[in-house]
Amino acid sequence: MAAPRYIADPEGALACVALDGLSVLFHAPSGMTHIVAPPAPEILAALREGPADVAELLARLQAHYDFEDEIGNDVVAARLDELEQAGLVRRA
Amino acid sequence: MSGTDDSKAQAGDLVPSRRTVLFMGAAAASTVVTIRPALAQTAGSVLNCEIPVPGPHAAGNHIAADGSLVAPGTPGAAPPLARPLRGEEARVLLRGSTPPGVNPQSAQAYANYIRRLQSGMSGFTCYASLQMPR
Repeated sequence: MAAPRYIADPEGALACVALDGLSVLFHAPSGMTHIVAPPAPEILAALREGPADVAELLARLQAHYDFEDEIGNDVVAARLDELEQAGLVRRA
Repeated sequence: MSGTDDSKAQAGDLVPSRRTVLFMGAAAASTVVTIRPALAQTAGSVLNCEIPVPGPHAAGNHIAADGSLVAPGTPGAAPPLARPLRGEEARVLLRGSTPPGVNPQSAQAYANYIRRLQSGMSGFTCYASLQMPR
């Protein structure tokens, strides 16, 4: 079975305010407001480049960021799961 | 967070001016907290808010069929309600039905009284909340 691919809404659908390490996101399509910690905003930005599965998303993040520890797909999948539950990303 | 530029880079851009260490969190940790929309949050309180009929400013007055306040004994006027209407009861009244415990012959007068409520009058906030789309 192919790995699920995820996509995020375009930047215009989100109003984002950075607050000292956290970000407040207003997701206009759902009318929901979320308080998110890193790496949620970074994942959303990476997914705006286009749909990606877990491995591809991790590669995109690694292209731009360093990580404190070695990051496994399970951590990225966990982040995507919670973003999907919040309605901020969806399966492509 | 060391400054505004860093904040912007982390929040929106995928090309920070220098490589940033990104904390991914533990697999079991949560990084998203969803705030329920204000209207969804107030849905319960709207149903439980209260509208006195009439309000304290007109205690003792009766309610004419058009919702205006009239002196006790005025023919056709409805007596004050013994207890305030709850939001849900007011909603039923405004739809033209009669909630339990309300005299059906007086229901129209009470509904019109509620429709005449203005800002600053007891029960107005509750009435206004009932008007909001849900």
